[in-house]
Amino acid sequence: MADPVPIRTDAVVVENRSEGGANRRLRLQVDGWRGFGPGQFVMLSPGSRADVVRSDPLLPRPMAVYRAAPAGAGAVVEILFKVSGRGTGLLADVLPGQRVALVGPLGRSFDLPESGERAILVAGGTGIASVYELAARARANTEVSVLLGARTRDDLMGVEDFESLGVALRLATEDGSAGEQGLVTALLEAELAVDGTARVYVCGPTPMMRRCAEISAARGRPCVVSLENTMACGFGVCLGCAAPLATGGYALVCRDGPMFDAEQVAWEGLP
Amino acid sequence: MSASQAPDTRVDLAGIPLRNPVLTASGTFGYGSEFAPFLDLRRIGGFVAKSLTLKPRFGNPPPRISEAPSGMLNAISLENVGVDAFIDEKLPVIPDGVTVIASLFETEIAGYAAVAERLSEEPRIAGLEVNASCPHVKSGGIEFGQNPKVLAELVRSVRRATSRPLLVKLSPNVTDIGEMARVCEAEGADGISLINAVQGLEVDPETRRPVLSNVLGGLSGPAIRPIALRMVWQASRAVTLPICGIGGIATAADAIKFLLCGATAVQVGTANYLDPAVAGEIVDGIEDYLKRHGIERVSDLVGALEIPPDRRS
Repeated sequence: MADPVPIRTDAVVVENRSEGGANRRLRLQVDGWRGFGPGQFVMLSPGSRADVVRSDPLLPRPMAVYRAAPAGAGAVVEILFKVSGRGTGLLADVLPGQRVALVGPLGRSFDLPESGERAILVAGGTGIASVYELAARARANTEVSVLLGARTRDDLMGVEDFESLGVALRLATEDGSAGEQGLVTALLEAELAVDGTARVYVCGPTPMMRRCAEISAARGRPCVVSLENTMACGFGVCLGCAAPLATGGYALVCRDGPMFDAEQVAWEGLP
Repeated sequence: MSASQAPDTRVDLAGIPLRNPVLTASGTFGYGSEFAPFLDLRRIGGFVAKSLTLKPRFGNPPPRISEAPSGMLNAISLENVGVDAFIDEKLPVIPDGVTVIASLFETEIAGYAAVAERLSEEPRIAGLEVNASCPHVKSGGIEFGQNPKVLAELVRSVRRATSRPLLVKLSPNVTDIGEMARVCEAEGADGISLINAVQGLEVDPETRRPVLSNVLGGLSGPAIRPIALRMVWQASRAVTLPICGIGGIATAADAIKFLLCGATAVQVGTANYLDPAVAGEIVDGIEDYLKRHGIERVSDLVGALEIPPDRRS
């Protein structure tokens, strides 16, 4: 199914709360929302454009759509994000009733696994926000394993939501404060060693995605990665989010991705 | 003027009739159709498409952009589909009634002329804008726009290649913008567009490296607006050519400032990234301003800056 046509609107903050550590959960009422595909994202700027023209920081921030539920004249769209700078800091400060400028959904969504084909979803840090909807939809017609990793327990997000999906969930933290101590890539190696027939989906830091791509390739399994890059627009005109391709040239993360078959990516050229 | 009467927003920019003075700037508006989900392109005066070369071009490796205070730096290196793909694939999907201005650049003067000739065959294109000013192409733009003799040769050559309305987009990275404007006027340009991005540099102190792969980039956004206003005003005093004002325009008030400083029309650039419908809102805001001030024609604002007599130099 084709991804829905994006909209540009002022969303209204319904809830903005701490999710542990530096992570936040933002719930937005988005009138006119036409749905989204798993892995798609929105561009968010704190403040209504009609009220104030904010210029510093100037650019909106790309954020994965975590999930959405029909509400009012549209949907409540949920975003999980980590406060990492001034832009996300301003988003962390928006209060219920205030407005956030939104453009989206943008990007291509994940292709769901074939019926009966097992799916392994591997996500690290804020990359977790990109795979929840995929887990929820893939679960309807296939067996889904979700492997989540982060530095510490506080850096994990959405764990209870994944638990209530009824998927096979395994955690890894670098300090051992939740799940197994170590990297989530080790969980993927163990999973594929047991059952080497799965399709692998990955979203997280570049070194993690690259390692997952290598592990999958060694087992001959298809691997889809969701790339991140700095972008100004999110809809294919600033050309800022170029990702180098293994075949030469560049793809735009926002328009051609963010999903790519791992073998398409020239990892050494990523910023 | 009665309150019910709509003000006249039409302007003539260098022989290009526009329904209103709000265009969008080359390099910030793709090939137009990217904005179709967000904006009726017939609401705005028109758009300047991404700069074209004879052959398709890849851009620079990432990182290509970096945020700056009230602005952004970019070094895309003028990635584009090439003039033939633009004419065959991009132009036909633009709805009728949308004014399209084509931007062009090359690394040699002969190349500019060749692209201009090719574009001039297309009746769907309302006019040409020569990019003489891109600040991040090692072998292209910058030399043309920074040296008056080279700029003269370029404008002369493109002028010979086309009889269509011809704008020249000027670099701000010069000492005397008036001199560059006069060169364009003397060589037969129909108008000038200014300013392009201001050359800049950002550094990561942790790695001691430039942030952009290209080292240097072009600064755009509200950060450059006062520089742009100043240069438009200086250019308007140097020549009688119509001017298209560009630089950090994000609101109707910003656009009106440029008209007051002598611009016949404006181009909205970086603000399109933040809000893909902003150009339409600027059109509405200008109409509101005209009504609120009882101004019948938007062209009455052009060059209407009032400087107190004791402040004139």
